[in-house]
Amino acid sequence: MPGTLLDSTAMACRAAQELFPGAVVALGMGLPGYIPSEVPTGGVWFIADSGLLGNDGADMDSDALDAGGNPVAMAPGGSFAGIVDIGGILRGGHTDVAVIQPSQVASNGDFVHWTTEETPDLFASGSAVDMAYGASKVVALMPHNNSSDRSNIVMECSFPVDGAKQVDIIITTAGVIKVNRDGLELVETAPGWTVEDVVEITHAPLSISPDVKEMKFHVPELIMPDKVFPDAISALTDVPEGATVNVDGFAGPGGMAHYLMTGLRDLGVRGLKLISNTAGVARVSAFGSPNIIDHSILVENHQVAKATASYPVSPSASRPSAFENAFNQGETELEVVPQGTLAERLRSGGAGVAAFYTPTGAGTLLADGKETRDIDGREYILEMGMQADFCIIRGHKADTLGNVVYKGTSRNFNPVMATTAHTTVVEVDEIVEPGQLNPEEIVTPGLFIDRIVLRPTDFSAYL
Amino acid sequence: MTSNPENTAANSKVYSTAESALAGIGNGASVLIAGFAGSGEPESLLRGLASTGVSELTVICQGAWLAEPGTFGIADLVSGGHVKKMVSPMPFHPESGGVVKERWESGELELEVVPQGILVERMRAGGAGIGGVFLPTGAGTRFADGKEQRIFNGKEHVLELALKADFALLRAKRADTLGNLVYEGTGRNWNPTMAMAAKVTVAEVDQVVDPGGIDPELVITQAIFIDRLVLAD
Repeated sequence: MPGTLLDSTAMACRAAQELFPGAVVALGMGLPGYIPSEVPTGGVWFIADSGLLGNDGADMDSDALDAGGNPVAMAPGGSFAGIVDIGGILRGGHTDVAVIQPSQVASNGDFVHWTTEETPDLFASGSAVDMAYGASKVVALMPHNNSSDRSNIVMECSFPVDGAKQVDIIITTAGVIKVNRDGLELVETAPGWTVEDVVEITHAPLSISPDVKEMKFHVPELIMPDKVFPDAISALTDVPEGATVNVDGFAGPGGMAHYLMTGLRDLGVRGLKLISNTAGVARVSAFGSPNIIDHSILVENHQVAKATASYPVSPSASRPSAFENAFNQGETELEVVPQGTLAERLRSGGAGVAAFYTPTGAGTLLADGKETRDIDGREYILEMGMQADFCIIRGHKADTLGNVVYKGTSRNFNPVMATTAHTTVVEVDEIVEPGQLNPEEIVTPGLFIDRIVLRPTDFSAYL
Repeated sequence: MTSNPENTAANSKVYSTAESALAGIGNGASVLIAGFAGSGEPESLLRGLASTGVSELTVICQGAWLAEPGTFGIADLVSGGHVKKMVSPMPFHPESGGVVKERWESGELELEVVPQGILVERMRAGGAGIGGVFLPTGAGTRFADGKEQRIFNGKEHVLELALKADFALLRAKRADTLGNLVYEGTGRNWNPTMAMAAKVTVAEVDQVVDPGGIDPELVITQAIFIDRLVLAD
């Protein structure tokens, strides 16, 4: 052996250099579990497929488990999620970095998770497959050689692969290798190892980076970006013309981001495509009020080009909504989607489900132009996942990391909409410090929230 | 919803023993079992299941690994000869092996390995009335073998069909007598999704309180999904 193989702490420190402030980082079993203990608390979201958001490193006294079943502490502002929510976070484009420990990685980025030479028929995909296919960057953190001293970096995997062409960078006990389109490139070597030493023990062709250097083990300073914005205008100033915007709320005025809505109105941005349960009926429904703020303020300001909604019309024909009037004048387009289908399309968009078969609306005009399919004797129609550029939602309380709790039925579309937009802005009655919300009560984890605005105490929901 | 022969009164979902709460599980049943590395696993119900002598079960779960001495887990169901097949993302801990690995290698136990996110999404679909979902996970690998593949947004996706089971066995921290559940920490794991995906759902809990005894904002699994409750031993 030319040099000393790196220990797990050094490997964890090097892996930490792949992270950035505010990143959502999924950690698989094994070596990735060492990373949280090496990184200052609170700068990134470490998530475990056990259902833990905010892994803060080993803690034998904790009831919370990491991916390997080891007890770990939870950082202030951490929360718990079910396996199904974790699946959505991994697959839905919310995970920036996944760190996994494969047993083999091939020249093209294929990997094998836990199958080994000693147990060739044994395999265990766990969540590694979900992590690899869902994360923007996939880091393989692994011993360079296996226990019989054969290279874990190979031309082609010798076992069935758990992920095809998914690995982006390999950090081993002897160096760092990038997976490029044309193969593997050695970019760093461990202290005491020469380029030739690493090439020698690697059973795959390696090109050598012209900038190849010795590995360093400093841990970057990671500080969570500030999400609290001073007012509605500053939080929405980059909403572009023609943007698709999720607008929360059910029917009445509750659970609606009135303050953010006025910000959007004051900005005057046009051509908006709203996705919302209604297109603004709070003003004209029995439980509303003629001067309550709803979508109508955007419609009347000629900012709305289209609504995708389940309940776009007024319940009273004699009191048409602003959207109905605009639609009848040809100013807006409309796509009507049943409420459950609307929520499911949003949930799919947020959870990385491209499309799904639902029985709702089969045999009606809602199925027109859509693929139908018989599954177990029942007719289903294919509906597509839906995403938005921006999302404005209303919470009751948030901490500064963006964890949100709601109140009563004002929860409605908020949690699902928060998962589907590129930029999600929440309006809340109160902002607290991380750790001040009970982790069990957090409904929307902060990793879905980009911006937080306090609804001013003197703000009125009435015009 | 099944009726409770022990108690036809208002709290009819509460059963006195694990065995009675498991009435109706027959040989060959499919059973969802919650838990992740022992956390949130219904240990009393698993003991009860073993004592019913039922066999040929298809068990759908995270896996049977890291069992602590003195506890009763899915591995014990397997060693007791109750299980024909296990569907799981990680059927046993790859390094420690154990009875599941032995039975599988000797051909006595069938294993189907499904990545965690695919398995839970199939259950969610089953519970939410979705027939099937197109997922990107596992495209180009053995996990996509024999399945319809289709390109969405320029990316290969695989059609995964809904999954439902005969029974679901859950573990929660607290229930009210109606069956509303709260969990604790990472014990939540598979529980809320499995609760939706079975014909009969049985939850083992530390405590049963009266309706109203749980803050409505904290309820994770709504009572409509729960058929039977039993206190943990």
